[in-house]
Amino acid sequence: MTTDNLPLAGIRVADFSWFGAGPIFTQALAHYGAEVIRVESQIRLDGLRITQPMPKDRPPGINLSGYYNNFNAGKLSFSLNMASEKGREVALRLIAKSDIVAENFTPGTFEKWGLTYDRIVQVKPDIIMVREPMQGLTGPHRDFAGFGAVITPLAGISYLSGFPHRPPVGLGTNYTDYVINPGHALVATLAALHYRNRTGKGQLIEVAQLESSVNVISVALLDCSANGRVQERQGNRLPYACPHGAYRCLGDDRWVAIAVFTDGEWQAFCQVVGEEWTREERFATLLGRKAHEDELDRLIESWTSQREAEEVMERLQAAGVPAGVVQSAADTLDHDPHLKARGYYHYLEHPEAGRTAYDGPGFRLSATPGGPRGPAPLLGQHTEYVCKHVLGLSEEEIAELVVDGVLQ
Amino acid sequence: MSEGPLSDVRVLELPGAVGAYCGKLLADLGADVIKVEPPGGDPSRRIPPFFHDDPHPEKSLYFFAFNTSKRSITLDMAAADGRVLLRRLAQRADVVIDSFPPGHMDALGLGYEPLRQGNPGLIYCSITGFGLWGPHASYKASDLIAVAMSGMMYLAGFPEDPPNRPYGDQSHYCASVQAAAGILTALLHRDRTGQGQVVEVSMQEALAMNQETAMQYWDLRQELRRRQGEGRRLPSGEWFRVPGIGTYECADGHVYLMIGVPGFGAPISVLIQWMAEEGMAGDLTSPEWQDVFSRLDLRLLVQLYQGADVSAAQEWLPRFRHVDGIIERFVRTKRKQELYEEGQRRGLLVAPVNTPRDVLDNRQLNERGFFVTVEHPELGAAIRYPGPPYRLNGTPARIWRRPPRIGEHNREVYLDELGLTEAELASLAGAGVI
Repeated sequence: MTTDNLPLAGIRVADFSWFGAGPIFTQALAHYGAEVIRVESQIRLDGLRITQPMPKDRPPGINLSGYYNNFNAGKLSFSLNMASEKGREVALRLIAKSDIVAENFTPGTFEKWGLTYDRIVQVKPDIIMVREPMQGLTGPHRDFAGFGAVITPLAGISYLSGFPHRPPVGLGTNYTDYVINPGHALVATLAALHYRNRTGKGQLIEVAQLESSVNVISVALLDCSANGRVQERQGNRLPYACPHGAYRCLGDDRWVAIAVFTDGEWQAFCQVVGEEWTREERFATLLGRKAHEDELDRLIESWTSQREAEEVMERLQAAGVPAGVVQSAADTLDHDPHLKARGYYHYLEHPEAGRTAYDGPGFRLSATPGGPRGPAPLLGQHTEYVCKHVLGLSEEEIAELVVDGVLQ
Repeated sequence: MSEGPLSDVRVLELPGAVGAYCGKLLADLGADVIKVEPPGGDPSRRIPPFFHDDPHPEKSLYFFAFNTSKRSITLDMAAADGRVLLRRLAQRADVVIDSFPPGHMDALGLGYEPLRQGNPGLIYCSITGFGLWGPHASYKASDLIAVAMSGMMYLAGFPEDPPNRPYGDQSHYCASVQAAAGILTALLHRDRTGQGQVVEVSMQEALAMNQETAMQYWDLRQELRRRQGEGRRLPSGEWFRVPGIGTYECADGHVYLMIGVPGFGAPISVLIQWMAEEGMAGDLTSPEWQDVFSRLDLRLLVQLYQGADVSAAQEWLPRFRHVDGIIERFVRTKRKQELYEEGQRRGLLVAPVNTPRDVLDNRQLNERGFFVTVEHPELGAAIRYPGPPYRLNGTPARIWRRPPRIGEHNREVYLDELGLTEAELASLAGAGVI
């Protein structure tokens, strides 16, 4: 798996991060050629290693979690006991040979290990250090407990999403863990690498997950600041598009999303549907449709519910109307002909989990295509490699570390 | 004044809303981002909400949110002179951000190949609904269609409702974040080789990771993750909530509790102790209930959540309802910030379901000086914006200037930088090209 031609070839990452937002960020670096070394320990397991889903009908194990494996493709795993003084010394030696060090522990953990930015800069002056605390490295709520599930309500995303007659339960996932927070960390880090190319200088990057997440409701914040308005949940509707929603189709929990913005799209929609009600005057304009939106939605659903979601999508799209199946994971992985043709999901052979699917990169580069270059590592799979080839330790030194319980 | 890490990078951002956040990320990091708007203004200037609800192209708060730190020029790409100007601008650019449908810029003779002539380092970023190729490449996409096709919408909402669209054009944020990362990765390649390339972002692919574990559940277990709304449902359809985990109504709104999940914050006994101190723990401090709680380990929770063990659920449901009722009554007596601060002080995983106003008032964000007050002299107002999503100690990201007015920088770009004459500028204006 040569990386020579990839944009990040030669960049080494000492990755102390765990769970979601940290490892997904470094995964993107690995996709494009960086050598990412996950520093892990049996003594303090990454929680995702013991979280479902794992392959069915097999006893669970620390190398089987699809949750962990999907975020760590092509990385190296180096097991290191940070509770020991010697382990912390080894960590510092690894950092000294790295370009980037990443962590997302509770603030104070790295300090407790003596791995402050000031100390790290002494051993690697041009290091780019990336820290992703929940709420920030300072401030009155610095030490508050949390992770993605807590950030979604805290950042205002839950309050604004969903139907107005329902309580604000959020998006069914720890939304900002997967693209927003790791993506913001990635953007800042790549910008810092570019700056280092120009000036030789590294720096410290702090991505407070709350601050990063709050950015995705910026329009509501400006509306509140400028107009004093507190926006409320709108369900699937938009003030300037109609129809705009998800409509039930034939089958078990099948839905199609339809979004009509222009008069042209409305006329094309009516052509495809062809029912009597599409010719009613009151639906001819946006304002008319908005005034009768509940009824319009019912009429549309009476038409879609007689049809397959895929059929509705294809017929509407052929007529130039934005429409799409509300796809399940079974659809995106197994059925969507487009994702399949583009090879978005990668199947990789993992020594314990077998052949499993991994997400591809979130962007594609024409001259230097990246992607998962290998399966996720077994815990500690590359400990010896890292000791020998990255840290340059002798057999004797490695044996001593093993005996001292440092490499576990 | 210190400079941003991208102060040597010039970006041309073509019209449209989808890539605007990408331009903003680069601009706030110090790049010179020139927003190319059609005469009359970018289409996203028509999107509400508006400042003081006055629907005017210079007053769209939606536009403001995505366009800080940029410059604006007007240019009609349908006109031959407009296309000549765009080619000249691209000669001097490092990056072009294009969020038109596939083929649109090629048809104008302004695609990657013509624009890179004489500028081999050009990085051309295309953001579309489904990418530049493949069976759905020509499909029309709006935010709703992209979140639907990505798989993330299927997971949001209540089972008895249609799946939910997330608030606020999340596909634009996600696609823009991925686009910015792609552009910068390509820039690092160019730092080494001098060569540019095409960065291709499909909104569908950019969003796909947001399915959390749904893809893996299907791949590894052939189990379909579905939207659960609140709590969990047994295969029988019966609803239940593990006490202490979920969205609870409080005196002034809602809070989200995640209490009792091993490894995440203080155990449920800490909540019961708190309730007992206020005389609201009911019978939960009795040894009988202590015993019940001690049996609620992670394995059992997972079993119940997955609905695999129906008999265990039948045994536990009445207990859950009893405990949940007591927690509900306690939570209803308190305000969300009180539950948050005091709960967290006790180590409990509690979060307020914040409104936009709560977010603006959030103590942590304010004490860290997160929000940026941006003066809009033309509106006679100052508006608070969220600050950049990250802090770089050497080369800070910041809001360098308020979002531009339509064509605000025509003179400096066309006269000072491209070297047009006043007479030429007047001709172009008269012909409606700028």
